[in-house]
Amino acid sequence: MLDSFEILSTSGVVLWSKTYVPIGANVINSLIKDIFIEERAGAAIDEDIAQKPTYKKEGYTLKWTTAKDLGLIFVAVYQSLIHLSWIDKLLDNVRALFTELYRDDLKKRNTTSFKCNFEPYFDRQVQELEKLDGGSSIAAQSSTSNSAAELTPPSTSSGADEPPPPPLPLLKAAGQKTFSEHAPSTDSTPIPTPDTSRPASPAVSHLLQAKQRPTSRRARKAASVAANSAPASSGDESPMYKSQTLRAKKARKWDANGMADEEDDTVLDYSSAGRGDESSKDAGPTSGVEAVSSSSWGTRTGKGEFVLKELDDEMDSIISSANAKKASSAEASGSSGLVGSSLGAITGLFRNVVGGKTLTKEDLAKPLKGMEDHLLNKNVAREAAVRLCESVENDLVGKKTESFTSIETTIRTSMETALRKILTPTTSLDLLREIQSVTAPSSSFLSSNPSKPRPYVLSIVGVNGVGKSTNLSKIAYFLLQNRYRVLIAAADTFRSGAVEQLRVHVRNLKELVTREGGGAEVDIFEKGYGKDAANIAKEAVDYAAKEGYQVVLIDTAGRRHNDQRLMSSLEKFAKLANPDKILMVGEALVGSDSVQQARHFNEAFGKGRGLDGFVISKCDTVGDMVGVIVSMVHATGIPVVFLGVGQHYGDLRGLSVQWAVRLLMQ
Amino acid sequence: MNQRLEDLLTKAWGPSLPVIIVTAIVALLLPILVHTFLYRARTPTSLPSFLLVGPSGSGKTSLLTVFENGSPAPTHLSQTPSTVQVQLPPSTKADSQKYRSEHDPTAKQRPKFLIIDTPGHGKLRNHAFEQLRKPQPHLKGIIFVVDSASLSSDTPGRSAAGLTEAAQYLHDILLLLQKRYTGAKSSKGPPELPVLIAANKLDLFTALPAQLVKSALEAEITRIRTTRAKGLLDSAVKDETLEEEREWLGDGGEGKFEFGQMEEVNVPIKVVGGNVIGADGSDISGWWEWIGEQL
Repeated sequence: MLDSFEILSTSGVVLWSKTYVPIGANVINSLIKDIFIEERAGAAIDEDIAQKPTYKKEGYTLKWTTAKDLGLIFVAVYQSLIHLSWIDKLLDNVRALFTELYRDDLKKRNTTSFKCNFEPYFDRQVQELEKLDGGSSIAAQSSTSNSAAELTPPSTSSGADEPPPPPLPLLKAAGQKTFSEHAPSTDSTPIPTPDTSRPASPAVSHLLQAKQRPTSRRARKAASVAANSAPASSGDESPMYKSQTLRAKKARKWDANGMADEEDDTVLDYSSAGRGDESSKDAGPTSGVEAVSSSSWGTRTGKGEFVLKELDDEMDSIISSANAKKASSAEASGSSGLVGSSLGAITGLFRNVVGGKTLTKEDLAKPLKGMEDHLLNKNVAREAAVRLCESVENDLVGKKTESFTSIETTIRTSMETALRKILTPTTSLDLLREIQSVTAPSSSFLSSNPSKPRPYVLSIVGVNGVGKSTNLSKIAYFLLQNRYRVLIAAADTFRSGAVEQLRVHVRNLKELVTREGGGAEVDIFEKGYGKDAANIAKEAVDYAAKEGYQVVLIDTAGRRHNDQRLMSSLEKFAKLANPDKILMVGEALVGSDSVQQARHFNEAFGKGRGLDGFVISKCDTVGDMVGVIVSMVHATGIPVVFLGVGQHYGDLRGLSVQWAVRLLMQ
Repeated sequence: MNQRLEDLLTKAWGPSLPVIIVTAIVALLLPILVHTFLYRARTPTSLPSFLLVGPSGSGKTSLLTVFENGSPAPTHLSQTPSTVQVQLPPSTKADSQKYRSEHDPTAKQRPKFLIIDTPGHGKLRNHAFEQLRKPQPHLKGIIFVVDSASLSSDTPGRSAAGLTEAAQYLHDILLLLQKRYTGAKSSKGPPELPVLIAANKLDLFTALPAQLVKSALEAEITRIRTTRAKGLLDSAVKDETLEEEREWLGDGGEGKFEFGQMEEVNVPIKVVGGNVIGADGSDISGWWEWIGEQL
């Protein structure tokens, strides 16, 4: 069964929600984070064309749909164990209902406050769909709602002769301060309504009837809620219930200002048929006490049924009109007369120049293809390019172009945003700051017992020949300039000459260090060839801790990313050496293989451990075709930490997102 | 055919009544249409505005709802910025009305202003930076919301992730504000742009008091500043313009950073505590007061 249903805006405010079983806010937060913001492709989304996308988290399944033009997200949460087939329909129906009913309120600018009485609509929808499904029923009595205008009356609690229980507007009083001032006056309403006896004089009864008319809509609503949440009340209490709601209504009429009231007025409009019916029944109120009372009894129960029916009709009409609109728009775009199409083409062209054109999938198809080709030319892997274009399409379909902007410009801006979003790291990339916190734990004013300093371990992995050793020595040089004592561990025990290569680097670095002076120091830790790399790495870390080195850089053998045998040794390596950071070197020259490389290396370290960042080497050789940066980040969601931009030790750079986006969009 | 066309054209250029009427209608309606088309989306007023920034989960959107309605609404992660019109509560007086007499009816008017809420997620901070790069002339101040319960660290020695994130974000914002001052064209410099650091969630047991929040952020920014100074160059920087491109926050980037140093670049910073959600309701009077001072 459904656990929770929420309607929230993209700015983060929950507009309406209904909770059957309380769930943590973090479930929906992680949905927004993973799907909407970080757009993690692999985050357990079942790609099914016919169904809405789902997202699973902590035993819950979330389904959602969006209303782009109003910036709304509709999320349904239920337990993964239960299979609910009607959620898709519920989401669609609720979206149609909600957007139709409150479109004007939602379009209001500069406000977050939003009040609605959506509860009866929602409950009816759920009940209906469940009936269709024949599935389990929802425990409605356990439901709590934080809808601002809750209307549930205390329908079953009133006995025959008790004074009326706190009138239901008091429920609302908390929300509306002004109400409390009038509350006493409603309590002292001079109509004595002892429920068993009818009003003594016909005049009073007439008054009662007259008053009833403008407000009866509320009674019906309240009754519908009551009927939803509780079994039908017995006949005895009905007149009393009625008078009670009458009073409440009067008070509301006076005080309620703003949306809630307007909303009710619009509902009133729908009910013209029902009202006519009612007035014909009430045509002769002066005929006698008995007659009135019996008719009111009769209508009361009849009304309850009738109201529900009508609410359904209203909902159905809204939903069907929304569907019809959708269908007609689809039809219009598909087949229209010669005149219509040419006129449409002309206004379309005009709109394209001036702006204000509502974008459709067809409008976007051609420019997006061009954009995709452009990205492919920039050496972005096809997979990443397609995904970027899809995200742009999702972003733009249904939106209006700005004044004096063409579709192409709009797509361009949207693509820049998408690129910036994908490249911007979510975690801090300040390597020095991390090293500092590990090697010299700050005597922060809060910590009583600082942890023991230990060496910071950084290891580098990658495919053969991408420049692992070269970039390792560049990083070493950068750390040496910051006066760290660095140990380089030669854990490439496979390729001949690998240790010698590192030895040469260390000799050069030593020379540079002595020239510059300061406390920096660099050395190599080597155990020759043929031994197990993971053990050497472990020994190197122990050695560094003993000798007081601050940073250990571990070089590893290059390996092909789709060679299972070679990749499996990485898991042991990660376990034994336990590096603080594992960086993968990828070259900017590689094409679409970069996606697979990044994925395979990211998964190679076993559960709970992945790559921490990328080093993209040889960036100076590709000019503006830096698409590999996007491909790799796309594949894993892991940020690019360093860029290699030349042959010298100093040619190491951090990634500037602005720069990358500019190059890619050139 | 040709003859008829000529006739028509002659008529169209002649001073006949229909032509005059059509011309008059076009001449009158065109400017109105253009105006409505271009300006229908613009906000007509230019209210003073405040920018709401801070790391994700610090309570920006909740604070926004409290500012607007007086009670917090349930919120989730924001994806888009939102602008909300807010009125100063009657208990707080705007600074511009300080010298008005008690009985002056205009003093009763509660000034209106806008609050711009920005998403705090790392990938979406662009919205806030955009606002600061070209600040609107009506921007009266920046409210940096920070979750003071996330600043104290569980593991001794390491500073909490929340502190690092908040300090980094604050550092970037202050650096932008400093650039606004140092990069100003006129000799007068840009107008004052005060920053309020709103230490939120003070109702929680683990929360630091406002004074400790201040010193924790200052210490962390000092550390960030030193590592940034030693860090690598951006890929965007060309080798020829090595040192000119970079800027340090505060006094040349040396020594300890204090918020007081920012006053040199016309950015006074104040740290005030409060809580949006709490057992005894929300306590945001200190923040209202600060807003009142800026209006």
